[in-house]
Amino acid sequence: MRWITFFCILFCISLFQSTLMNWINIGIAVPDFYFPLVVFYSFFIDVKRNVITSWFTGISKDFFSEGVLGINSIFFVAVGFFIWSIRGMLFRGHLLTKILVTFVFSIVYNIFYALHTAITYRSLNISSTIWMIFICSLYTAAVAPFLFFIFDKLQPTRNLYFMEK
Amino acid sequence: MRTSKPNINELLSHPLTIATLVLTISLILLFLPLKVSNGIKMACVVPVRPFQWATFVCSKTASGFFHRIASVWKENETKTLLENEIAELKNKIIELQDTNYRLQDKLISVSEFKKEQKKPKAKIIPADIIGYDTSIFRRSITINIGTKHGVKNNNIVVTDNALVGLIAAAGRRTSLVQLITDPASRIPGRILQTRDQVIVEGNASPFCQLKYVPRWAELKKGDNVITSNIGSFYLSSFPVGTVVESEIKGGALFQNVKVLPAVNITKIENVLVIKE
Repeated sequence: MRWITFFCILFCISLFQSTLMNWINIGIAVPDFYFPLVVFYSFFIDVKRNVITSWFTGISKDFFSEGVLGINSIFFVAVGFFIWSIRGMLFRGHLLTKILVTFVFSIVYNIFYALHTAITYRSLNISSTIWMIFICSLYTAAVAPFLFFIFDKLQPTRNLYFMEK
Repeated sequence: MRTSKPNINELLSHPLTIATLVLTISLILLFLPLKVSNGIKMACVVPVRPFQWATFVCSKTASGFFHRIASVWKENETKTLLENEIAELKNKIIELQDTNYRLQDKLISVSEFKKEQKKPKAKIIPADIIGYDTSIFRRSITINIGTKHGVKNNNIVVTDNALVGLIAAAGRRTSLVQLITDPASRIPGRILQTRDQVIVEGNASPFCQLKYVPRWAELKKGDNVITSNIGSFYLSSFPVGTVVESEIKGGALFQNVKVLPAVNITKIENVLVIKE
């Protein structure tokens, strides 16, 4: 695994997510480009590197977001670890697996994040939050194959499979 | 008998050690005071800001290009300008109407308050938006001015005479603006027509909600919400939004009121920071 490639991908995602989101959002549906990166590395690398990549992804999301530092890094490490632990049961090469895993875990992550926000600020509306979680996760899952394709080109998974063994 | 010394490299190569280490760092960061964590955040993203600014400028230029092409067909440009002007004038009317109400109240009830109590004349600094929040549950923008330009934490940010938010973290050259739709935002407000005091609260959706609106308050769709000077945090009479929906549930003491912000943040490119 090339760390420089990982940090370049992360840098590009941070730039895109923090500046060009208004170009591709559909109403309140905003895709989370960080999340497929966590799923991608959880699928293809060993647990130690997975924890580190998830943590860096989470902390860079925290840097470009309002609120306390560290919350996204904790959630991403947890999600990354969980996906890593069940990946043996999944057929990781299939497109549908990538979409479904991204969708399901994005929902889980967003629910936890919404709970954290609701507990801290007590200002989220339940119905609109559930709807937002659903459509944002759906949008994230929809763009996941495209992002996986790019990540795969930049960080060939064949090498990662090899490293896994 | 030989005893093996614990090797730091071996220890670091263990996944559990790495996981514990990163989670400990995250937890330490999580429990830092907001001021410190904002300071770290602003310092760490400094090298990225020029790239962010460049990307934003490029996207703005591209957006402008597409907009011009479209305007050739539909004469959209003139229409948008006129709409902006109308929105600005409408907000001005609301502001003047509010001043009028306040002056009337003062004349009738308290004769000794002859002079209007206003804050000292504020200095206005224009700023460009260079970034948005990356989280779907938080609402903030990054602007290209900071402490170097005189911006301080909690300065008010407006555009077209309407409230946008306030400075949550001021860096040296950039600042983070917490929008009125952010879940952490609480703004003391007033309903222009009924004069009811309210708290305008964000909830991570494109709308805000009003808190503590008594069930007997007669709100109508289209009523304007403005800032009040309660708490002396915000300047008074800035339009915040318009009531779009009010609902009373069962025996609840307060109404559920939905407010559409006066500013559509996705359509603005620059803001004004009011420096007191």
